[in-house]
Amino acid sequence: MEYVIGVLLLLTFFGLAYYCIKGYNLMIGFLVITIIWTVLPMLGSLVVGSAFLEANPILNFGPDNTLVNALNSIYQSAPEGWGTTLVNVCWGAWFGRVLMETGIASTIIRKTVELGGDRPIVTMALLNIVTAVIFTAMTGAGPVIAIGVIVLPIMMSLGIPKAIAMFSFMESVAAGIYLNPVNFAQYRAFFIATDEMPDFTLGWYAAKWGYAALAIALVVTTIMAGVFLSRSKTSHAWAAQTAGAQQAKDAPMYTLILPIVPVVLNIAFNFSVIGGFVIAGFAALFLCGKMKGGFKASCQLVNKLYYDGVVDTAPLVGFLLTLPMFNKVASYASPYFNAVLGPIMPKTELVVCIVFAVLAGLGLFRGPMTLVGCGAATLGVLSNVASFSVPFLYAVFAIPTITVNIGSCITQSWVAWGLAYTKVESKDYLKLSIPTLYIISVLLYVLTMFTMTGLDQVWYA
Amino acid sequence: MSFKEKVKPYLEPIADGLFGKQRGMRGPQLAPVAPRPIGLMMEDLLRLDDEAWGTYAFSRDVLNRKFTPEKRAELTHRAMECGREYAQKMAGQYGTSNPTELAKKMGMQVEYPEMPKSAARVLFAEFKAPNHIYLYMDAVRKARTTMIEPGVKAVLTDKLDIGQLLLAHELFHYVEETYKKEIFTRTEKVELWAPKPLHNRSTIGCLGEIAAMEFARTLTDIPYSPYLMDVFLVYGYSKDAAVRLYEEIMGLAGLRPSNPENYSPAT
Repeated sequence: MEYVIGVLLLLTFFGLAYYCIKGYNLMIGFLVITIIWTVLPMLGSLVVGSAFLEANPILNFGPDNTLVNALNSIYQSAPEGWGTTLVNVCWGAWFGRVLMETGIASTIIRKTVELGGDRPIVTMALLNIVTAVIFTAMTGAGPVIAIGVIVLPIMMSLGIPKAIAMFSFMESVAAGIYLNPVNFAQYRAFFIATDEMPDFTLGWYAAKWGYAALAIALVVTTIMAGVFLSRSKTSHAWAAQTAGAQQAKDAPMYTLILPIVPVVLNIAFNFSVIGGFVIAGFAALFLCGKMKGGFKASCQLVNKLYYDGVVDTAPLVGFLLTLPMFNKVASYASPYFNAVLGPIMPKTELVVCIVFAVLAGLGLFRGPMTLVGCGAATLGVLSNVASFSVPFLYAVFAIPTITVNIGSCITQSWVAWGLAYTKVESKDYLKLSIPTLYIISVLLYVLTMFTMTGLDQVWYA
Repeated sequence: MSFKEKVKPYLEPIADGLFGKQRGMRGPQLAPVAPRPIGLMMEDLLRLDDEAWGTYAFSRDVLNRKFTPEKRAELTHRAMECGREYAQKMAGQYGTSNPTELAKKMGMQVEYPEMPKSAARVLFAEFKAPNHIYLYMDAVRKARTTMIEPGVKAVLTDKLDIGQLLLAHELFHYVEETYKKEIFTRTEKVELWAPKPLHNRSTIGCLGEIAAMEFARTLTDIPYSPYLMDVFLVYGYSKDAAVRLYEEIMGLAGLRPSNPENYSPAT
């Protein structure tokens, strides 16, 4: 009977993938699938054989494992547990707004462009580096859009075709996210509770894998953009850019270091992420003269920036707080998946890397490889059919989540914005992003094989 | 300079932040704009001189801050001369100054796609090497509607054919590609920062745009800068965006926008 339930769960999994690909609301999709995956395994526990229940005590309900406790753990404890991750997201979004308000982000972009001049490839490469560095700290759709309205017109005014400009920018944003402490905390929560495995810090991860991942993603993006650019025809557009993007005055030179302060503090001293955002954020506001209006006006400014930042992340919050329910319920569905898929799921680190590299494209359209899609279910299945270390699994899933979904997929909110802003067709964007995502993914899985496999038992959950 | 004087600029923002005078609540990021008739804006912009349009063109260039106002004015004039010279040269060479005929004789492939709507960055036309020109009909169609607003026709005159003007502008970019080794807009360079003894020389992107505008003006024989079209065409997408752009251009030219209450459209 467990096979029947397993197949039914599998069908709902494909249904969810289809739902995500169609671009419907992710929060509702995950809420519905959570309910289905609650009902099916729990009803299934009434009809499966006793041997199956004995092998999977999680489904063996009784006085020590009550149904109410199980439901509470799915619908209450799981989203509550993500509250700690969510506050990082909110403070990261505030910091992003501060960098925009103070003009620090736009100043960095302008100085970079003035160094590269009217040479598309050089300027594009410099902008890619700067964009990646900025997005090691900035978070959310608002900052991506705010930087995008500066960077994209600059690239297009240099004659870089709009599809290549957009591709280059979005992939560079994704490259930066490999070292972003907010994203790190967010994805880490998929694998272990916040207080588990304290040694798995951003600093450890960065030294072992993160720096190299960022560098590989950035270099491949830049090389690919250069190749696409050398093949493309020169273009010139007559376009009117309305005021807004160009008007800010320069931030002082010494403040341009502030965007990386939270990341550096976190990596170097394991200093609190939020503490880093607060220190660097207020330093930026003071040093750029944004707090000159006195106490009341300064309070209003800080409050407004927080409000704007939280609004930037608002579309993500509902999804983020539904996802942990799904992650939790996946543990109840996993025994059934194990029964059906266990024999064919990869069980060694080498095979996992090969399979994920080959199937990297399935991270597109919120597919079964991305953690911000239905990859959470894949993670549930994979981690139940064999034992893998947490850092290994983190790297395995971070690649399709960051490079494939966030950088290359048109379902990513800011990519969708970029398509509308630059008037690039989805297919033209995907033509550039898909080959690139495969090259980056393959290289990063090779990196994962070299740096994240064969870890000690302490790295196992 | 004493240590105190050196440190003062760094400490002032912090001190101001802590003890500065009370000010009101910050306004929205984009200040609201009063509505302005397009005819009035066109009348005002018609009066701007070449240097004012050059300042506007440079304001869109990534290297704008590398030049003094005098250097910008000089480069603007030289780019305009270049545009005029090549317009006359092409008209002579191909025996016509009609942009459509010129495009045909130059072997250009002109396409007329629609375009998605957006007020943030309005795309009018595009040249893609080696010989493709795209004229976005959405902008052209909207311009025809704007043309019947009071006072517009009197300013822009019957000589204006938006499609021909856009085409002529893009033709210059083809000419620029053809003569890239000798044309001023590609040979003029600016020295950027580089560690000594290396050199970092770059072309100046907006010179091509300034020259393309003059090239189009010469071919179509309109009595004003084609840069007016930036405001005129944006108006079809967003009146507020057009007013903001107009106010920005007037500001760059050091002029005050006219009072709309005193405006009576010319017929």
